[in-house]
Amino acid sequence: MIYLQQNNHAKRNRKRIIAGIFAFLVAIVILIQIFFSHFFPALITSVARPFWRAEFSVASGSLESPQSLLAENESLKLQLEEANIRLQAIGAIELENLELKSFFGKNISATSTIKNKRILAPVLMRPGAGPYDELIIDGGKNLGFTIGNKAYAPGDVLIGAISDVLPETSKVSLFSSSGNILNVLIGPSNAPATAVGRGGGQYTAQLPRAVKISAGDFVIVPSIDDKPFGIVSAVESDSAQSFEIILFAPPVNIYQLRWVLVEHI
Amino acid sequence: MKLRIITDLIIFIAIIHGWWFVALPIAAAGCWFFPYYIEIIIGGFVYDALFGMIPGTGFTAYLGIIISIIIFAGIATIKQNIRR
Repeated sequence: MIYLQQNNHAKRNRKRIIAGIFAFLVAIVILIQIFFSHFFPALITSVARPFWRAEFSVASGSLESPQSLLAENESLKLQLEEANIRLQAIGAIELENLELKSFFGKNISATSTIKNKRILAPVLMRPGAGPYDELIIDGGKNLGFTIGNKAYAPGDVLIGAISDVLPETSKVSLFSSSGNILNVLIGPSNAPATAVGRGGGQYTAQLPRAVKISAGDFVIVPSIDDKPFGIVSAVESDSAQSFEIILFAPPVNIYQLRWVLVEHI
Repeated sequence: MKLRIITDLIIFIAIIHGWWFVALPIAAAGCWFFPYYIEIIIGGFVYDALFGMIPGTGFTAYLGIIISIIIFAGIATIKQNIRR
């Protein structure tokens, strides 16, 4: 019996010591997180980054044979040439548009014609079905990114802004984050509405049924960008309700994004 | 011990990929089958460090840790009551 009591006592002491060490470690972690909020995200991301980069490389076809890469290179060169020709045509139309506007006395601000420098960054992680609606991109302080830099999907589609910058990666919070509210103009009549983010690039807005909106109409957010921000994907109408629900999403699929352009001011 | 390490590896891979829906049930099962399964809290912390912890977003930046602590404490309590 005496031996048993001694054992129990030693066991209890050991448990207390373990609990004490655990509490001490937790306290240290909390203190570090309070005073150096980027320490753990940077440390853990630096461990995960090689895995993400390897996955990105595999998805990008880095492991394909040289012949197929050369063929793809040729095809991309052709596409680039075609895109350049189209870009020149668009440039000419833009110039014509500016000239016409000046004819009609429209005041064209200098900023609208200035193209900010944009840096191409690979998307390492896309939003899953998780609570954080964000992209993780390969580029951070090393590329000079700062919080608030806007991120564009290919095709000049604004999708979000940088919310956190780590040494080699950044987090891009999507405008479609759940609960995020935006003032938008929908359809050819530019009907003003309040859009609410639903996550994963999806938005919802309400409009009176009298406003004629159909799938495929453009959505713009004048406070952010004057280019098409989204395209109406569906209109849910109920004859018993005076409002209809507009569902829209960006013209690009957020889940298939491989690259983004980050505006570098 | 071997099974615990395999479970930890699966959880680690799932967390790196942001597959919380894979990591969470496995970690919850780990809590039930293994003693002092603090890996669930570490997993929650790693998930938040990778995808959350955005300054200025309040407690929502720590959802992983909060949920993992709730599951850890909940399962520990249930285990204690059932096995008493």
